[in-house]
Amino acid sequence: MNTHELPMIIFTVLAQMSVGAFVVLGVVQVVAGRRFGKESVDKVTDPALYAIGPALVLGLIASMFHMNDVFHTLNVVRHLGSSWLSREIVFGLLFAGLGFLFAVVQWFKWGSPRLRQALAALTALVGLTLVYVMSMIYYTLETVPAWHSWATPAQFFTTTFLLGSLAVGAAFMGALMWRRRAAAKSGNVFHVDDATRTMLSSCLKGIGLGAVALLGVEFVIIPMHISGLSAAGGAAGRSALVFSGVWFIARLVLVFLGAGLLAVFLYRYATPTAQVRTLAIIATSAFVLVLAGELIGRSLFYDSMVRIGM
Amino acid sequence: MAEKLGFYFDQTLCTGCKACSVACKDKHDHAVGISWRRVAEYAGGTWQQDGDTVVPNVFSYYTSIACNHCEDPICVRVCPTTAMSQGEDGIVTIDQTKCVGCRYCEWACPYSAPQLNAATGHMTKCDMCADYRAEGQDPACVAACPSRALGWGPIDELRAKHGTLAAVEPLPDPAITRPRLVITPHRDAQPTGSGTGFVANPGEL
Amino acid sequence: MTAATTEKPPTSGIPRRSFLKWSGIAGGGVALVGTGAAFGLLPGVGPANAVTSTVAGSTDEKTVWNACLVNCGSRCALRLHVKDGSLVRVDTDTTGSQDLDGPQLRACVRGRSFRRRVYNPDRLKTPMRRKPGTKRGAGEWEQISWDEALGTIASELKRVIADYGNEAVYYQYGSGVTGGNITNTAWTRLLSTLGGYLGMYGSYSTSQISFAMPFMYGERIESNSIGDTVHSKLVVYWGDNPVETRMSGGGNMWNAQKSNKDFKTRTIVIDPRYSETALDLADQWIPIRPGTDAALVAAIAHVLISEDMVDQQFLDTYCVGYDEEHLPAGIPAGSSYKSYILGTGPDGVAKAPDWASPITGIPVDVILGLAHEIGTAKPCAIMQGWGLQRQANGENNCRAVMMLPILTGNVGIHGGGNGSREGTIRFPLARFSIDNPIKTKISCFMWTDAIARGAEMTDIADGVQGKKKLDVPIKLIINVAGNTLVNQHSDANRTTKLLEDDSLCELIVVVDNHLTASARYADILLPGTTNAEEVDFIASEYSGDTAYAIIADQAIAPLFEARSHYDMCAALAAKMGVEEKFTEGRTQEEWRSELIRKTSASVPGIYTEEEFHDKGVFRVSNPDGTFVASKAFRDDPVKNPLKTPSGKIEIFSERLWKMAATWTFGDTKGDVITALPEYVATWEGAEEAKTNDKYPLQVIGHHFKGRTHSSYGSVDWLQEAHPQVVWMNTKDAEDRGIVNDDVVHVFNDRGRIELPARVTPRIMPGVLSVPQGAWYSPDAKGVDTGGCINTLTTWHPSPLSKGNPQHTNLVQIEKA
Ligand SMILES: Nc1nc2c(c(=O)[nH]1)N[C@H]1C(S)=C(S)[C@@H](COP(=O)(O)OP(=O)(O)OC[C@H]3O[C@@H](n4cnc5c(=O)[nH]c(N)nc54)[C@H](O)[C@@H]3O)O[C@H]1N2
Ligand SMILES: Nc1nc2c(c(=O)[nH]1)N[C@H]1C(S)=C(S)[C@@H](COP(=O)(O)OP(=O)(O)OC[C@H]3O[C@@H](n4cnc5c(=O)[nH]c(N)nc54)[C@H](O)[C@@H]3O)O[C@H]1N2
Ligand code: SF4
Ligand code: SF4
Ligand code: SF4
Ligand code: SF4
Ligand code: SF4
Ligand SMILES: [Mo]
Repeated sequence: MNTHELPMIIFTVLAQMSVGAFVVLGVVQVVAGRRFGKESVDKVTDPALYAIGPALVLGLIASMFHMNDVFHTLNVVRHLGSSWLSREIVFGLLFAGLGFLFAVVQWFKWGSPRLRQALAALTALVGLTLVYVMSMIYYTLETVPAWHSWATPAQFFTTTFLLGSLAVGAAFMGALMWRRRAAAKSGNVFHVDDATRTMLSSCLKGIGLGAVALLGVEFVIIPMHISGLSAAGGAAGRSALVFSGVWFIARLVLVFLGAGLLAVFLYRYATPTAQVRTLAIIATSAFVLVLAGELIGRSLFYDSMVRIGM
Repeated sequence: MAEKLGFYFDQTLCTGCKACSVACKDKHDHAVGISWRRVAEYAGGTWQQDGDTVVPNVFSYYTSIACNHCEDPICVRVCPTTAMSQGEDGIVTIDQTKCVGCRYCEWACPYSAPQLNAATGHMTKCDMCADYRAEGQDPACVAACPSRALGWGPIDELRAKHGTLAAVEPLPDPAITRPRLVITPHRDAQPTGSGTGFVANPGEL
Repeated sequence: MTAATTEKPPTSGIPRRSFLKWSGIAGGGVALVGTGAAFGLLPGVGPANAVTSTVAGSTDEKTVWNACLVNCGSRCALRLHVKDGSLVRVDTDTTGSQDLDGPQLRACVRGRSFRRRVYNPDRLKTPMRRKPGTKRGAGEWEQISWDEALGTIASELKRVIADYGNEAVYYQYGSGVTGGNITNTAWTRLLSTLGGYLGMYGSYSTSQISFAMPFMYGERIESNSIGDTVHSKLVVYWGDNPVETRMSGGGNMWNAQKSNKDFKTRTIVIDPRYSETALDLADQWIPIRPGTDAALVAAIAHVLISEDMVDQQFLDTYCVGYDEEHLPAGIPAGSSYKSYILGTGPDGVAKAPDWASPITGIPVDVILGLAHEIGTAKPCAIMQGWGLQRQANGENNCRAVMMLPILTGNVGIHGGGNGSREGTIRFPLARFSIDNPIKTKISCFMWTDAIARGAEMTDIADGVQGKKKLDVPIKLIINVAGNTLVNQHSDANRTTKLLEDDSLCELIVVVDNHLTASARYADILLPGTTNAEEVDFIASEYSGDTAYAIIADQAIAPLFEARSHYDMCAALAAKMGVEEKFTEGRTQEEWRSELIRKTSASVPGIYTEEEFHDKGVFRVSNPDGTFVASKAFRDDPVKNPLKTPSGKIEIFSERLWKMAATWTFGDTKGDVITALPEYVATWEGAEEAKTNDKYPLQVIGHHFKGRTHSSYGSVDWLQEAHPQVVWMNTKDAEDRGIVNDDVVHVFNDRGRIELPARVTPRIMPGVLSVPQGAWYSPDAKGVDTGGCINTLTTWHPSPLSKGNPQHTNLVQIEKA
């Protein structure tokens, strides 16, 4: 693992996951809301929403460790005119702020649902822009062939949606299990109504399906990126060598297991009558495997920083 | 407008001795790990073996590089804090009171010019010995070179005298940052991008 | 605590040591004991005890002139910038031209890192003694006072001289302050005033050529200067790498660069490696198997003779032994050079290119091309480095190369030369040394034998000079500013074993700045000052057609308890009752004034001492323009004969002829003396490599830009700039699955070293090079992780000069 860039690995993956989760939650809200009603949807999505905040904050804190002099951090927004890093910081803060705002208004149910929806849409847009800006930091470095490639934004967005959706699935089931355990502790029997069961299972089906599809995308991007680099020779060729060996294989296997095998299980198993516990285990495992795989993948991404020149 | 400054490097004379590099370290009191001027050894070629005899068809040469105070300094462009900036005379310097140590410039510069001082958390880089120049002295590396392979001055004058070549392996395509650097090439110098050889001393750069 | 009567306060008013951060033992008398590990700890040595120079608190900065004194063949001026009593920057010469005449003496990469050598964690700080009862080399030390240290040395010197005689005292070869004057000869001056010591002849540098060339020329004479190639049509650097072995910007590196650039003379480099000289200057590079130069020369000679390109008139007039008509009387027919080459001599083998090709690894057409160029370029300058003579057959290799200018009549003319190393003019500096009254000598390389079996060593078997045989083995060694006690001598594992036995050599005194491999084998270890801490008056070395003198002023006070060689010797002289004879009543500084005064008698216009402080360097240009070797002889051989018995160039040496008959050898392959410069196949040579399955690779140890031998070897800036690596050819690496920067082991039956591989096309297949001088550092398993070539080399001397054949070795290499 690339411990040198650990802060950036954690930051970029968590931030992208947060954005992805936020967007997926929005989609769930819109799609499922129409079928099952806003009320019941909010009940499942809200806990997931509140999980995004800490993840993003964790990511932002991690990103601070990338600065070698944190006392000068405020300076980083000085060069918005040309530095993508300045822009990243601004959009990162904007996304965090808007997300936080949205969480608050959602919690207190302030404002009209329409207004909240508009706020959510804006937050999502800023989030997606953040992912774009992040990718531009690397994409615009024409001196680093492995990064100066369409694969960088493509990868970042794939990560965003893949991790985002699996995180949402895991959060859904996690929240459910947590509530069940809390109920059990206080001696109550936890009951999930049929509507929620149906809704959850169709959400998980959707997530499973989405994950498999995104896995497909990822497994197209990776070989194309590598073969492109290899063919280019020089620094590009040398950076392609990073994508081989144990860590690379581990990454592929983890993502394949999580977003492939388990996601298919999830898709197949997620029915209103399915065992909640089993579903929770599948959803969480899929998320954990893919998260691990993506962290390794990001680590390799930073390893591939082979510059042209000397 | 002030004249823009640059370096001249006569590759035909460079012995890879690194007196330039160490003179810079001594002047700026740098610990191991920071070398504002670095020297790459580029080598390649093949051997033909025929029974007991061998015939070489090989080449090798050195390239001594500091910051080239580029006309299109990618380091300045990417720096989020504006710590990296270019002066009137084209000299690119780092404002230590602004730098956050994010290392974006280090990723960007294809000459490995910016180098982090882990102790201060700030980026550091060649300033073409601003203090020496102010006193009318040559930059330390230029004055140090035992082979007199290094020069400095207004880039227009250097180019008028020595041509405009800077596209020599293992240097990057000069179109990227437009370095203020002129090279008299070694007889075996390979054009940038030809990939005919390899950097033999990657650990030293 | 000190008995030094000559110690003087620092020249400036800087409070002594006020700037030092020294966290080790600060006071005297505290005996700290190291661990018992092979290379245990030495009190006060190591990173924790590093001295750091303080740059803060600016007061006036001063700059003083000094020089870098190590043995690199150049001599550079240093300007030491001092602030608050610390060295804060090391600059170089600021005077002089950017031309061949009177060039600026720009220091090389090592000189520029001098500050890190002065303030180095492994600086020795106080006198030490091996802890009584511990094994020599075990690394257990006790700190002692100067008084006690010198007292012990005085009584031991007296005892050994009384018991065994002065010839049991040996002053070890050590070249760390070669450029010094007072500092380089203080100890030998002292020993000479005490009745002398067993002498040495030759040097690790030039054992073979220094011994062999006089058989041809009567003395060792350097060739024409590089600047003289302005007259040449062809320049050949033969195993000669001035770009890396004369690295000063005012020495022969500069002369070679500048001449090449200005004169654009066609240049050929013959070397197993694509050396820095080849890289910079060569129009053609001819790789050759190490130790086979004499075969290549013979093949060239064959072409020159058979195609009638020899200068018959020159050979007839100036030489002995070229053809049968010019052999000395009484020598059997068929003994001439021409007979040897054409195959009409005793061996009956014609030395045609197809004979030499498989030996040297050079294709026939390349040999033919080279022969035609050397035969037709008039004049042609052949400069011979010392790599090919540091071989098991080195004496013949170097004489062989000198045959080419002889055959082509290039000796003694502008643009030509004698085929020896590029020449230089010398500065007639007054010296502090006095002669050793003892005339018995051994080769500089035979001291380990002289410890082990000294009294058995004879003139005809071991090269003892001045006596038929040694009477006593070496019992006491004074090793000053040298690392040949272990690191730079051959077979370090064997040498350290020998030194461990203190019943053989009974006392070893080491004077150094650093805790070197040699220092670890001292009984008494004395901390010397660096040249920044003392004064001297320095002469130029291989600088071509400009010679110069440099003043060395003291920049900083001696660090810790370090003392200059002069001061420690003066104190020791007082203990031995010869103080007056040694000092003549002067301090070191007063001696310097005296040497400047004496020098001025022979150098008109030289600066006064006052002017020297300010101007630093005084130069003189060659009044003849460029230096031509043996010009007088060429102009008039009758009036100006050579110092050979015949007064001529002795291609066939009658003296060698006789020695070949009388000297005794074992049956080791290659141990022969030949009257002609013949090619001889030897032990661990190129030909043996072909049939040796266990150790099929030849390894040489080129002199390297990152160090001067072992000096500067512990400077971190240099280790970073020029890490120790073993050069190996891409093909050899592929065969063994080794890639660039892999850590590898190079080994043979004598030892094993560990270091990274530099996989490169710059060395020929079948040959490795481990830059010599890295610090010998065996780990618990005996693997030398310092990568010192002398873990792999042998004590076996070359046949004639009994010199160090340290480039002749066979090894294997594998991934660590
Ligand atoms: N295998 C192999 N071995 C070789 C060679 C080779 O080519 N191959 N080359 C040989 C040759 S040519 C030579 S000349 C020898 C050189 O061998 P040495 O003469 O031993 O030279 P150095 O290794 O430089 O050691 C010089 C010592 O002087 C010390 N010193 C430096 N400055 C000062 C000072 O101011 N005061 C004091 N007191 N000490 C100081 C240094 O710390 C160092 O320990 O090595 C020989 N050994
Ligand atoms: N930088 C630096 N400079 C130095 C020194 C140092 O340690 N470092 N040491 C100084 C001292 S004391 C000395 S004596 C001189 C030594 O000067 P040299 O003895 O000339 O130096 P080497 O590197 O041993 O050999 C010179 C060249 O000969 C090649 N060579 C080795 N064996 C053979 C052979 O059999 N045939 C041919 N044709 N070439 C061969 C080597 O590859 C090398 O390039 O250098 C001096 N200069
Ligand atoms: S000092 Fe001069 S010759 Fe040496 S590496 Fe630097 S540029 Fe090259
Ligand atoms: S060399 Fe690098 S650091 Fe210097 S100006 Fe150019 S891009 Fe910037
Ligand atoms: S490290 Fe400093 S100079 Fe470099 S980009 Fe970051 S803030 Fe700018
Ligand atoms: S110009 Fe000055 S700062 Fe720049 S590399 Fe040379 S010595 Fe260093
Ligand atoms: S090591 Fe030799 S060339 Fe280098 S500075 Fe010292 S004297 Fe000059
Ligand atoms: Mo030497």
